[in-house]
Parts: sequence; structure tokens; C-alpha cells
Amino acid sequence: MKLRILLVLAVASIFSSGLLAQTQADDPVSLVENITGRIYADVTENLEEYTANPEALEELVRRDLMPLLDVKYSARLILGRAGRDVGEEKIDEFSDCMTNLLINRYSKALLYFSSEIKLNVLPQRGDLNEKLTRVRTRVTLPGGGEAPVDYAFHKTPEGWKAFDVVVEGISYVTTYRNQIMPEVQANGIDSVIERLNSGQMQLAD
Amino acid sequence: MKKTHSIIGVILLSLLLAGCAGTQSRNTDPENDPWEGYNRKVFAFNQGLDKVARPIAVGYDKIMPDPAQRGVGNFFRNLDAPVTYVNQVLQGKFRQSVSTIGRFLVNSTIGILGFFDVATEMGIPFYNEDLGQTLATWGYEDSRYLMFPFFGPSTFRDGTGSVIDTFYSPVGQVFHGSNRWGLWIVRGIDTRARYLDQDAELNSAYDPYVLMRDVWWQNRQYQIYDGDPPMMDYDLYLEDDLETVEPVSTGGE
Repeated sequence: MKLRILLVLAVASIFSSGLLAQTQADDPVSLVENITGRIYADVTENLEEYTANPEALEELVRRDLMPLLDVKYSARLILGRAGRDVGEEKIDEFSDCMTNLLINRYSKALLYFSSEIKLNVLPQRGDLNEKLTRVRTRVTLPGGGEAPVDYAFHKTPEGWKAFDVVVEGISYVTTYRNQIMPEVQANGIDSVIERLNSGQMQLAD
Repeated sequence: MKKTHSIIGVILLSLLLAGCAGTQSRNTDPENDPWEGYNRKVFAFNQGLDKVARPIAVGYDKIMPDPAQRGVGNFFRNLDAPVTYVNQVLQGKFRQSVSTIGRFLVNSTIGILGFFDVATEMGIPFYNEDLGQTLATWGYEDSRYLMFPFFGPSTFRDGTGSVIDTFYSPVGQVFHGSNRWGLWIVRGIDTRARYLDQDAELNSAYDPYVLMRDVWWQNRQYQIYDGDPPMMDYDLYLEDDLETVEPVSTGGE
């Protein structure tokens, strides 16, 4: 049970250059592979600049990462039945909150790990499905260990999009869901959104 | 056999705690965690212990240089190799079991009693098996979640497996010596230190008990399936919506 959230986020940030990669190949494995080199190159090259100005990095992450993620779908999965009666706008608001939180952490983790981690994308395995698939990666840590990080992709009208990150078997969606759904049911979605925005919410996955 | 006594001690303590359980009526996962009331008591007990354990782990983490800390981790991990080996054989994973023996020999010798993980540098893969995983692959798939005092999250199956594993593991044997408590304590501190980074996450969670259970449970499934568990059925997460209200919430196709 290693909650290597920083690592997850660092790796997830690899999606940052997703837009560019899509021109080459748009199957999930290629997406992850192509993006990897690009994002590392960018952050490693401009490490000093981004360290001095983390907001620039956040901006970059936001711009490039978002098109590759289906954050709304993640938000729905996380809210589950708690999202049933709250209406579209609230779900959007919640999804934005989660996204901001993630981008903030992605960027921090990127700065922290950038020059040290290596990512190895494993080839597609049997479970490729027309609508749902998993991309498996292995991350080499500075200490020499290896952490397995998987991404769940599903097919949308705009192409394949990632909606879950799974680190050592621990799903971001499931873990957040089991915290947030009861909290929304107990305190209401506004209170949860407020908590997210205030930066108190620090869940692990 | 003193080891056995300490195990019995832990079991007795569990029963004692079970006695004071029952005030908690929350039931967040009746299927996997029917003993939640009891488990929450033990969780609270462990959190209490942590008030003492954590500062020690923090101190250890500060004093020990990173490479030394890694060495201690390697040392204990290496001692688990025989348990992994036996269970690989029990599961019919013979090829992998050879690699485990290789690792153990290399690390115990060239790696100086396991402090240096030379085997990984040589590209010998690492596996981790135990009796709980073996029982799961033999068909004992569903087992109740069970929190142990001191040791934390487990299931009835995995707890039983761990106890049996200690009878033939070097950790079990080595710890029979005069300084066995010392070793247990070092291992405990080392393990605790490795989770320090996650404290903030756990403490600020809406329900720390559920967070710990979720994380442990999912990671355990992952181990049982050797890193390749069946993909989750995410649609189930939306099913409530689909069946009852709001056609809009069909989500991402």
C-alpha cells in the first residue's frame, strides 16, 4: 500500500503533450509513448525556468493535458449516485475542482521528479477492447525500484481519453469515489467543492 | 517457540478489542468488510499506537542516510525470499521460483546479507508471494477484511497465511535469537518510516479508515493477480444513475 501520489502525478503529467502526439498515432499505447519523450524533454530542458515560475508549468500542463483526459467522466464515476440529483452545472463545477487539484499536483510532482524517473510503456496486452483499454507502464524510481502505473482509457467521439490512473493496483477513481461519495451525501456537494477549492482535500491513490 | 507466544498475544489482544467493539454501526462495505465495527476499533487502537511509533519513525528517517535506509529495507525484503519461493512452488510458478532462489543467493552473498540489492542490478526479477496469495489462487478468493493490532490491514485469509508463513521464514527463525525483539522493532520502524509521506493524505481524508482499507485492498488484489488483475467494471459506478434517473449521465459513451 504505497500511496505514491507524487509519482502518479508526475507520470500522469506525461500526457501533457497529448495534442501533438495525436497527429502521429492515436491508439492509447502510442499516445502514452509519444508523449513520454516530449514531456520529459520539455521539463528537463526548461527545468530552471519552471522551477522559478511554477505557474508557467501549470499552464502548460493545463493546456496540453486536458484534451487527453475525460475529466467529466472521471467526475461522474467518482460522484456515482451522489451526483444524481445535483445537476449538470454542479458536476461541471466539481469536475473543475478535481482538475485544478490534479494539475497543481502534477506540476509539483513533475518538478520534483522530472530529471530522475524513467518510464517504460509496456506493449498492448490481450484486453484491448473497442471501447475500453488499459495502458501499462513501469516507472523506474530514483532509488532503483520500479512502480507499476496503469492508465484506463475509453473511446469517446473525440478519440481515446484517459479517465483513471492506477498505481500498484490502486485506482484513483475508486479511491476518491469511496471518500467523496459519502462526503457529498453527508455534507452536500457545495461543501465538498469548497473543501476542494480550499486545498484541504488531500487524498491518495 | 517464543515467536508463537507473541502471535498468540496478538490474537488475544484482538479478541479483547473485539469485546469492546459494537458501538460503531457504520457499514460501508458489507460484502468485504462485515466486521467493520470491530475493525474500526482496532484501527483506532493502531492510530493511538502511532502516536508513539510515528515520532520514532520520523527520528529514524532523519538520522539514517537514504542509502542506509534502503539497505535496511533490502535486508528485510531479502529475508522474505524463502517465503516467496515456497509459495511460488505451491502455485506452480517454477520458473519464477528459480529466479527467487537466484536473487536470494546473490543478495545474501555478494549483496552482503541482503543489504545491497545486487540481483536487481543484474536484472533478476523480483517477485512477492505469500501463503495468503497462494490460498487466493487456490480458490479462496473472498475473505473478510480484518484489521490486526500492530500489524494493520489484512483479511482473515491473509492473516492466517502470515502466521503460518512465520514458522518457516528466516524472519521467523532469525527473530528467535536473543535480539529478536530488536529486529522486530527495527523492521517495524523501517516499515513505518516508509509510509511517512502518506500521513498527510491519510489524516486529511474524509474517512481515513476507508482510505486505508481501499488502498490496502486494491493493492492486495494486484499482488494476488501478479500485477495483472481483471479490469474494473467502471460501468457499475454509473449504474445507479442509468437505472434510476437522468439519462444525461450516461457519461463518456
